[in-house]
Amino acid sequence: MNWPDLNMGGYGFYIWGSYIFALLAIVWELVTLSYRKKVAREQEKLAPKVISRKANETTS
Amino acid sequence: MLRWIVWRDLMLAWRRRADALSTLFFFVIVVSLFPLGIGPEAELLRSVAPGVVWVAALLASMLSLGRLFANDYQDGTLEQIMMTPQPLYLIVLGKVAAQWLTSELPLVCIAPLLGVQFGLSNKTVGVLLITLLLGTPVLSLIGSIGAALTLGLRSSSVLISILVLPLYIPILIFGAGAVEAEIIGMTAASHIYLLGAVFVLALIFAPWATAAALKISVE
Amino acid sequence: MNLYKYASPINFYPLAGKLIPWFAIPSALLFAVGLFMGFFIAPSDFQQGDAYRIIFIHVPAAWLGMFLYVLMAIYAGVGWAFNARLASMMASSISITGAMFTFLSLVSGAFWGKPTWGTWWVWDARMTSTLILLFLYIGFISLQSSIDDARRADRAGAVLALVGVINVPIIYFSVQWWNTLHQGATIRILQKPTIHGSMLWSMLIMLAACWLYSVAVVLVRLRCTILEREQNAARFAEATV
Repeated sequence: MNWPDLNMGGYGFYIWGSYIFALLAIVWELVTLSYRKKVAREQEKLAPKVISRKANETTS
Repeated sequence: MLRWIVWRDLMLAWRRRADALSTLFFFVIVVSLFPLGIGPEAELLRSVAPGVVWVAALLASMLSLGRLFANDYQDGTLEQIMMTPQPLYLIVLGKVAAQWLTSELPLVCIAPLLGVQFGLSNKTVGVLLITLLLGTPVLSLIGSIGAALTLGLRSSSVLISILVLPLYIPILIFGAGAVEAEIIGMTAASHIYLLGAVFVLALIFAPWATAAALKISVE
Repeated sequence: MNLYKYASPINFYPLAGKLIPWFAIPSALLFAVGLFMGFFIAPSDFQQGDAYRIIFIHVPAAWLGMFLYVLMAIYAGVGWAFNARLASMMASSISITGAMFTFLSLVSGAFWGKPTWGTWWVWDARMTSTLILLFLYIGFISLQSSIDDARRADRAGAVLALVGVINVPIIYFSVQWWNTLHQGATIRILQKPTIHGSMLWSMLIMLAACWLYSVAVVLVRLRCTILEREQNAARFAEATV
């Protein structure tokens, strides 16, 4: 196992740059998704609770 | 039926000559803008001429696509035509043919003049004509898919461009590439054959996709 | 056991909810393992030094961008052909994740290109094709978001996705053609580094991690879509009972 130096032999900016960008993209996706989930949940609360009720039925 | 649709669309387009002519003027103006932006140096202009003329042809055909189905859709004629027992494939083929004759063929005809503007030799202009002649029908055919998908939507003209321009890229590459090959002195034949192949494929499959898209949009 | 009941969005909703942790947690674990292996165990490359380590995110992103486009087209086609709403909803859910990965592969490719080729962007066949793929995704997403009627949006998207998927080989071929004819002598296309065992494994683990992540995120988005769309259907069903 070798401990990599943080500078990555001079390429540090590019490597960390791309991984940080990847992290930002994933975080963006998760945040927008959780916001959308929150909005959808609140909408469902206003509507009759058919979806969650029907989903809990065990008959097929 | 095919002849009737083509004739009808040609008559309608003749009554609104301004639409088709404005597409032509757009093409000419856009092509003329490039030397103003790039500079009048003859060698440079000759090397960018194929790409510039082809991109302008793409953009001009985008403009005319919006009109393909929209007018008939708005006054309900399209629905009536679709309810006839005639195959929708032929109807689409007819409309696309009429659109090519009114909007694209003028572009092909004026292309030699633009070739002169950029200082292209006669042989090069000839190749340019052939590629445009083969390529512009494909533009109409593939563009008709986009026009059918975006029927009746807001800001449909911009949307058509976003949908269809990526699909135009192979035609652009082969078309402009053929003319460039001719300028460099290599043979343009391979490009033209590929363009012809794309034309045949589009002729067979595109109207079918457009018919399907029309059925989806007009419900 | 009757599996066909899961074709209904309302029945699939709780199943999706149960499935998500089974993909999300292994994905997080594999990300950790893959990154650890990639940075601590894989050795420095002979030609590129440490710059090659970007492939652990670039290659999975590129591969997933392409794979998700095909998957999206298949689901959209199935939804159109069989009139299956859930399949179409799946296609719409995949589109955003696929576009994100394609964009990520372009950015990471640029970050890789700068130290190795000298420029941020180069018009080689692969980068250009990926850019066009991103345009195809954007077209699909724009079309669906500008159509209000959900079923029309589904079917229109299906036509576009299928036309796109058929065009992808043509586009790729024409871009390769264009590139080989125009290739300047000054740009040498990078050779893939000879893959050392640990490098290959790290890349494969990261690929699996990204794939599992995609499944989890798509399922979450699918549940949101089901909630949003089935609102009116549920209200109507309640009212008529």
